[in-house]
Amino acid sequence: MSKEASSGRRRAGDAWIIIPAYNEERVIGSVLSDAALTGHRIVVVDDGSTDATADVAAQTAHVVIRHPVNLGQGAALQTGIAFALLQDAEFIVTFDADGQHRAADVARLIDALVAERADYALGSRALGAAVDMPRSRRLLLWAATAFTRLTTGLNVTDAHNGLRALTRRGAARLNLRQNRMAHASEILEQIANSGLKYVEVPVTVEYSSYSVSKGQRSSDAVDILLDLWLRRLQP
Amino acid sequence: MIIQLILCTLLLGVVVYAWSERRRSPAVAMLSSVTATSALYLVWVPAHASILAAWAGVSRGVDLVIYIWVVISVLVLLNLHLKLRSQLELITALARHIAITDAAARYTEASRPSGGHEQKAA
Repeated sequence: MSKEASSGRRRAGDAWIIIPAYNEERVIGSVLSDAALTGHRIVVVDDGSTDATADVAAQTAHVVIRHPVNLGQGAALQTGIAFALLQDAEFIVTFDADGQHRAADVARLIDALVAERADYALGSRALGAAVDMPRSRRLLLWAATAFTRLTTGLNVTDAHNGLRALTRRGAARLNLRQNRMAHASEILEQIANSGLKYVEVPVTVEYSSYSVSKGQRSSDAVDILLDLWLRRLQP
Repeated sequence: MIIQLILCTLLLGVVVYAWSERRRSPAVAMLSSVTATSALYLVWVPAHASILAAWAGVSRGVDLVIYIWVVISVLVLLNLHLKLRSQLELITALARHIAITDAAARYTEASRPSGGHEQKAA
C-alpha cells in the first residue's frame, strides 16, 4: 500500500473503477454519470457488445477497453484489473453496469481498505440493504453464500456482490480464469487462498426490472457449480 | 462376419488415432489403446464377453459392452470439454492482450499534455 493510502489520504487518481459491460446501452450512461461523481478514473470494459454500449460509455469513461468478442463478465473484470494495474492504480473498485450499485458506496469501500488495513473490501447487501430484491434471488443468494462459506472458509454474508474494492496488492493476487458467472465464487476462493485480509462493508443494491432481467437466474446456479467443478479438473 | 469386419476397421482406426496422440496426451492414448484392443478381442471372441458380463453381474455380453461404451463416451466428452475450455483460455488471453494494448495506446495518447488538461480515451 502506498504512503498516501496507509496514512488515509487519497487522491482521486489513486482509485480506478472497473465496469464490465455487455449490451448495456440503455443504462450505462446514467451509471457512468453516477460513478463519475466519485472523481475516480473509470474504465469500462465493453465485452463485445453488439449495441452502442462502447460509444455511450466513451462519452464519460476515461478509458473504454473493447473485447473483440464476448467472453463473459469474469473475463472483462480480469481485463479491467490488468489494465488498472498497468496504470499503477493503488485501489481498484469493481462496479456492475446494470445500475444496481450506488456510487456513494465506493468511498465507503476504499475507506474500509485504508482504515482496516485490508486488501479486499467486499460489498455486502446483507449488512446493508437490498431494495426490491426478488424472493427467488434472495433464496439463490442465501444458497450461494452458504456454499461459499463451506467451500472457502470465508465468513462472508454476501457471495455474489459485484461491488468490491481491492488494493493493488490484493488485485495482483487475483487471476480470474472463470470467464462467466462463476468468477464471483472464484474471486472469494482466491481471496481465501491469498491469506490477505478482507473486510465486508454494508452497501445498497437496488433491483429494477432491468437489472433482474440482466442478472443471474436460478438455473445459472447449476452452470456455476459445473464451471467450478470443471475448473478443478483443468491443469 | 460383416459387422465384425466393420467394427474391426473402426477399432483399428481408434488404435491408430491413439498412437498418433501418444505424445500429446499419453494417458488418453494408453486408455484408448487398451480399450480398443480389448474391444477387438471381444469382437472376435464374443463368448468371452458373456463370461465377463456374468462375472460383472450383467445378464448379456452385449449389455456389458453397451454400458462400457456409454462410460467411455462420457469420459471422451469430458476430455473434449476440458480441451475446449483450455482453448477458450487461450482465446481469452489473446483477446485481453489485444484489448489492453489497444486501450493503453489510446489512453497514453489521450493523456499527453494538450491544452493543459487530460482528455478521455475511448
